[in-house]
Amino acid sequence: MSLRFQRLFLILVTFVLLLAAVLLILFNSQKNIIFFYTPSELINEKPKVGQNIRIGGFVKEDSLKKITINSYEFEITDNNNAIFVYYNGILPDLFREGQGAVVDGIIEKPYTIKATNIYAKHDENYMPASIKEDLEKNNQWKKNYK
Amino acid sequence: MSSLLGFIFLVLSVLLSFITIASEIYRKLEFKNFLIISRASTISILFSFLCLVYAFIISDFSNYNVFQNSHSDKPLIYKIAGAWGNHEGSILLWICTISLYGFFFSFQLNVEENFKRLTLAIQHTLYIFFSIFVILTSNPFLINSINVNQGLGLNPILQDPALAIHPPLLYFGYVGYSLVFSFAIAVLLKKNTNNHWVPIIKKWSLISWTFLTSGIALGSYWAYYELGWGGWWFWDPVENISLMPWIAGLALVHSLFMARGERILKKWIIFLSILCFSLSIFGTFLVRSGILTSVHSFATDASRGLFILLIFFLITGFGFLVFLIRAPENERPLDLMFINKTSALIINNVLMMIATITILLGTIYPIFIEILTNKRISVGGPYFNSTVIPILLPGFLLMSIAPILSWQSNKIKKTKLYVFSFLLLSIIILAQSYFTNFNTWGFLGILLGTWIIVASIIAIITSHKLVLSFKYLKNINAFIAHIGVGILILGITFSSIFKIENNFFIEEGEEMKLIDNTIIKFEEIKITNESNFQSLRALFLIKKNNKKTANIQAGKNYYFVSKTITTEAGIYHDWLKDIYIVLGNQEDNKWFLKIYINPLVSFIWIGIVIMIFAGIIGVIKK
Repeated sequence: MSLRFQRLFLILVTFVLLLAAVLLILFNSQKNIIFFYTPSELINEKPKVGQNIRIGGFVKEDSLKKITINSYEFEITDNNNAIFVYYNGILPDLFREGQGAVVDGIIEKPYTIKATNIYAKHDENYMPASIKEDLEKNNQWKKNYK
Repeated sequence: MSSLLGFIFLVLSVLLSFITIASEIYRKLEFKNFLIISRASTISILFSFLCLVYAFIISDFSNYNVFQNSHSDKPLIYKIAGAWGNHEGSILLWICTISLYGFFFSFQLNVEENFKRLTLAIQHTLYIFFSIFVILTSNPFLINSINVNQGLGLNPILQDPALAIHPPLLYFGYVGYSLVFSFAIAVLLKKNTNNHWVPIIKKWSLISWTFLTSGIALGSYWAYYELGWGGWWFWDPVENISLMPWIAGLALVHSLFMARGERILKKWIIFLSILCFSLSIFGTFLVRSGILTSVHSFATDASRGLFILLIFFLITGFGFLVFLIRAPENERPLDLMFINKTSALIINNVLMMIATITILLGTIYPIFIEILTNKRISVGGPYFNSTVIPILLPGFLLMSIAPILSWQSNKIKKTKLYVFSFLLLSIIILAQSYFTNFNTWGFLGILLGTWIIVASIIAIITSHKLVLSFKYLKNINAFIAHIGVGILILGITFSSIFKIENNFFIEEGEEMKLIDNTIIKFEEIKITNESNFQSLRALFLIKKNNKKTANIQAGKNYYFVSKTITTEAGIYHDWLKDIYIVLGNQEDNKWFLKIYINPLVSFIWIGIVIMIFAGIIGVIKK
């Protein structure tokens, strides 16, 4: 086989692999991408029940309730609107009322999320940049949040 | 005092770098003096870094950086590690590393004088870019404007031995590509005709890759026991951006193995060399700018992000521009054949590039979506698992046979033996997984992992006669590295697919029975006070067949200064499985416990250690 044929063959293989990768990416970006909302956006967007989403905001003061030893209820707020969350599992160490948190979960009914994962940042001053921006825009940003 | 001295050394080092570059342009200096000034610049920045470390050791709170990130009650090792546990200090370490690579390169043998001068001058240019960044936006030597006698402390989760050495290792990896970059640019500018530069670029890219591997592995190991999530890789953006230069670097190492005499993919090697360092800077930009929402926390500041972005465009733009203008011609075509080593290596490189692009897209896609539609999305583990892994699968298959392919013909030695072993192995594994819990991905992972190991061992036995010498080790080194990958694949497959999670809610003194008849006894809760934290530990006893096998402690630490709690997962390591215990909350006398059985996690670390070992063997000369 000639060198020229070889080059053509390799280009063909590369092309097929690239095509496969593009198809994989397209297919997965339909299925595996999760939208990230603030509570107010969630209420505006009205996503479907059963959809996987991620929300970020503060844990509302006096909203954290322990139902059983490892299940909790609390609200995530952006100081305008609040979303009700319930969760089975161990809360992160830095999770507390008045602090920022990010919740992955499934919409059970409007304004209620069943959490699958909860993140509180390693850093006690953590606040997702996007949420900070929203809060500043709405003049809800308090200095002591840092 | 040490702050002032540190700053003076930093400025001095930059000045010396300027002189080095100027002397390369105007050719006023003898080579000997050129080297002296270049090395003096490195020694000066090392002194500057030592000044910072010293300020941390003596808890000099008149330094603003020490005040922000340290505390006098901290153990000495974390005071030292505190020097690079924050943004300013870590960037100082970054420029120190750039300079150090130039320093070590200046002792490299078998490089022409002109060539060495040019490479060092480019390396110093990179150094100056980043040191201006340090001086203007991230100066670790600022003086504290108020008088204090105590500091604010280091994030407790970072007070950990693995994480103390993780940043230096990672930086030695990332920044090592700066030298590969400088060298590649020098090759382009000199239009050098012989291929003496190939072994040199091979050595330095292997060194960087080995450091990067150790750095990533250590970070991953830390996440495994410190975060208490039961896993060791989360496809977090910060992890992804370390993976991109890693894969590109691996492609570079492989493309260098393709080089045979005059037959070489010069353009491609140079392209990859420029790409590796570009990805390293891009990673630094993404981490430091705070553009990515990541669960890892880093100091974030928009102006710093912009500055690094500017440096990124300057360096990458310059690199690729020089590449476009002066890309070398391939004088001799490669020995391409239908299925020989060269074709296999090319397909390997194509796959690695596609994997890198896929990770890059998944990592920056959210940023574009946010800018364009103002919607925020998160691309997490499921996306990467279902795109990157299928892309890598054909590569793994190729890897198991590539080392036995020939360079000059389509023939494969001992084809029958390989086909026979592969079929036998498939039947055994198929039967084994059919009678246990069958899982397609699990089956594929186990088959590929074991096949890579078996094929490599067959290749070692059949093609190299066993002699106890370093040369023998060097000859079979590629196979050793691939055996490491095989073991790693087995570890990843088992620990992610066949992981078992249990929840318990029990009192002290009670026992729990796991699926494999292991009994875990919850003995007692113990609270002790350490120098800067209080520790709460639940003590467990693991019994198998009524014999006591091990003790585990799982618990939490409460850090006084920052008033934060960290989880300390209790892990029982075994060759075949890890028992991983996370202590939850208490109610009355009962405690909530999460217990994971993670099979074959040890294989992940063993596989990586083998790969690092192979990297080191590859660097050492015969």
